[in-house]
Amino acid sequence: MTVTPAVEEEEEKKPTEGFPPDETRLGIISAVIAVIITILLPVLPAVIKAVGVIFALLWGADSVRKTSKYGLGTGVPSIGVLAMGYGIVGAILGTAFASKTGYAAGALGGVLIMGGVGYLSGVMSNSEKFIGMKIPGLERGMMELGLAGSLAMLLQFSIVAGSLNFDVVMDKAISTGIIALLFILSCMAMFHPYNACLGPDERRPRTLMVSVEISGLLCAILGIILVVTAGSMWGVADGVSLVIFGALVWLVFYVKFVKAAMREAYSVVGTGLIKTIE
Amino acid sequence: MDPVLLIIVCVIIGGVLASLGVHLLPVGGAPAAMGTATGIATGTVMLMFGAAMCGLFTASTVATFSNSILLVSLSGAVGSWIMMGVTMLMANIIYVFGTGIVPVSGRIDVDPITKESQKEYKTPQCDGHGVPNVSYISGMVGALLGGFGGAFMYFALLNYANFEPTTAGMAAMGIFVANAIIAAYNIGGTIEGFHDPKFKRLPKALITCFVISLFCGVLVWLAANLGGLIK
Amino acid sequence: MEPIAMLFAWMLLIVFLALIACMFEDLESDTGSQSNPNSQVQLAPQVGQVHRFFNKAISGEAPSYAMYCTIAGVIAWVLLSKGVHPIMAIPVGAMVGEVVHVIFATTAHLGRTTAQKRFEQPIYLDVLYGHLLPIATHGFMATLCITAIAYIQSNLGTLSGLPELNHPFALPMLAFIWGITVGAIGSSTGDIHYGTEREFQDRPFGEGKRVVYHGKITRYAECGIRTQKDIVGFCVKYGGPCTGLTFGLIILFENWRTLVGMIAGNYLPDLQATAGNMTAIIGIVLGLMIGIALTVGNVVIVRWARKRYGPFVGE
Repeated sequence: MTVTPAVEEEEEKKPTEGFPPDETRLGIISAVIAVIITILLPVLPAVIKAVGVIFALLWGADSVRKTSKYGLGTGVPSIGVLAMGYGIVGAILGTAFASKTGYAAGALGGVLIMGGVGYLSGVMSNSEKFIGMKIPGLERGMMELGLAGSLAMLLQFSIVAGSLNFDVVMDKAISTGIIALLFILSCMAMFHPYNACLGPDERRPRTLMVSVEISGLLCAILGIILVVTAGSMWGVADGVSLVIFGALVWLVFYVKFVKAAMREAYSVVGTGLIKTIE
Repeated sequence: MDPVLLIIVCVIIGGVLASLGVHLLPVGGAPAAMGTATGIATGTVMLMFGAAMCGLFTASTVATFSNSILLVSLSGAVGSWIMMGVTMLMANIIYVFGTGIVPVSGRIDVDPITKESQKEYKTPQCDGHGVPNVSYISGMVGALLGGFGGAFMYFALLNYANFEPTTAGMAAMGIFVANAIIAAYNIGGTIEGFHDPKFKRLPKALITCFVISLFCGVLVWLAANLGGLIK
Repeated sequence: MEPIAMLFAWMLLIVFLALIACMFEDLESDTGSQSNPNSQVQLAPQVGQVHRFFNKAISGEAPSYAMYCTIAGVIAWVLLSKGVHPIMAIPVGAMVGEVVHVIFATTAHLGRTTAQKRFEQPIYLDVLYGHLLPIATHGFMATLCITAIAYIQSNLGTLSGLPELNHPFALPMLAFIWGITVGAIGSSTGDIHYGTEREFQDRPFGEGKRVVYHGKITRYAECGIRTQKDIVGFCVKYGGPCTGLTFGLIILFENWRTLVGMIAGNYLPDLQATAGNMTAIIGIVLGLMIGIALTVGNVVIVRWARKRYGPFVGE
């Protein structure tokens, strides 16, 4: 793993397509979309819930990028794993709230509590009296990671189990071991984009394309699982539509990323010799 | 004892032991893979996680036929202990025979346990290389404590919160990894063991992990209660 | 057949699969230059050394192997629950895991190389295309073995006639655990041979690699310019088998002490509930003895190295 050195601030170039809004706005948009979809559960088909998952993971990847730019000392993957570690606890808690209150909106209680725990760990990590990492924006970053992780995990639970009932979720999503898949692929969707595009010429729109692409892959795999264990009220069509949606999202963003990378690299050659620059 | 207190106390003990274990493991990070630093050539969190998972595997087998929390946790501890022991021994074999390096520490002049001198065997401009005896023993103890903590949390979630085995395993792992990462932030990524000066920063991480584990324990109890698992 | 003999037979099969799995895991991480030695491949253009290595930067080996093995485990589990025979389900799961692996490898290489535009590191298309198949095949072997181990362990009781001995964790969770462990072990042991020896092969043997050498990796091979294909052929002679031996020994010790504890504590073959504690105690005592033997082994090796190699000579 490469340890990121502290990067000097580069001037923010205006994104040429206007595609990703800036960090705060992206966070708010993603949060609103994911929250609305959570509240309207579980009657929605899996494709709409998948859109919520994509936005939540995009928010998480953006947050990881912002926090890691200053050099964490242990590498990028650990903060993504931390986010999903909080996400598991938050999602289990949210499912319990939703079952007890009977409304899906109760799940947001778990999400907010986990955001609070994230904020607290950010404060303790940054303050001089405790760990003292002194990274600007770490409190806000960890809070966003707690929120995004819990939202993403909640939505994935409801995709796999079909509802937010505690016993159903436990039975279909957690005891079967699928939660391990959700955990590690969501971790990857959060930290792989910045880790894969690490370097001085890293550009935010290009990095975020990778996050959407990985989320598409995750949705395609979830769709395959759904086809076989048809659980929600939409039946097998749910799973098949999710596979097609996930595959499409993956294909579009993968091709976009590869084309952007090849266009913006120093040069693309079929083969060639190497040189040494003194 | 009241299930609330039991679960919270067990999660706190598990989390604090996890962070203590992380501080004791000899982790060299990327430079150790190039023979530039002492310790094992991998990331702190991942090594502790791997050792604890190995211990958790054995502990979950033992939990099917034993009801004593001490025996289950000790089984997990010994599972991690074996994993770290074999890994560090084979790493030393590769260092000694594959690259021709003498394992020495870069932070101290005399090994505190075997009283061997370290300085004249060290390559200049390197911060030590290999896994010397003091780092080995420190790593074994660290894995023992970490595995104990992980299995302790697993048993509590399995029998006091009445989760199912896979659920208890994932939840214990989630809390364990959060504590290990915060401890890894404290040491800044690399540490040689208990003889390293960075070890003196241990109390700060212990307090932070205590608070985080406390919150996670309360939340887990809340989830189990609301979900109707605790009768 | 008698359950105890069957249990030992399946245990030996698991140990064999573990040996192969970890050896191929280490070789795959050398084929794709993942994890810790990859920091040198990343550093090389920054000190002016343009290279033809495959810069696969998918985090450390532990999370990435957890990902491939979990995907393989879930797909295999899904197929098994539909009644597909294990001999079809397990390889199909491993194949899906490897397809995902290759996708991640391409995004990592392209992303990292593009981000090094100012150091004039080009994207060599033959490096990109030529390494995807070796990465996929080595990874397939590792993932296949880990999924098979997870399948056998979650069905151990059924396969040997005592259904209560099935491991309580579900198959995907077992694949996740072993994926993380195999990645952590491969990263700790095999990477040393790649990083210290092969990446700096033109430096003197027998010393740690000094900080001033970092970034100046060996880019010219026995004949021509070095790529990962030259590296993996070297590391398979020492680093790969050692790593495989590590994981094999760990699995052997773990399962052996549990089984011996079960037999000596009279838990088998009737699964008496009262014998549970004695079983656990015997297992713990055996494990502690093995650990102490390993510590003594380390002391012996360090002492031998100090005596034979002697203090550092030179400046």
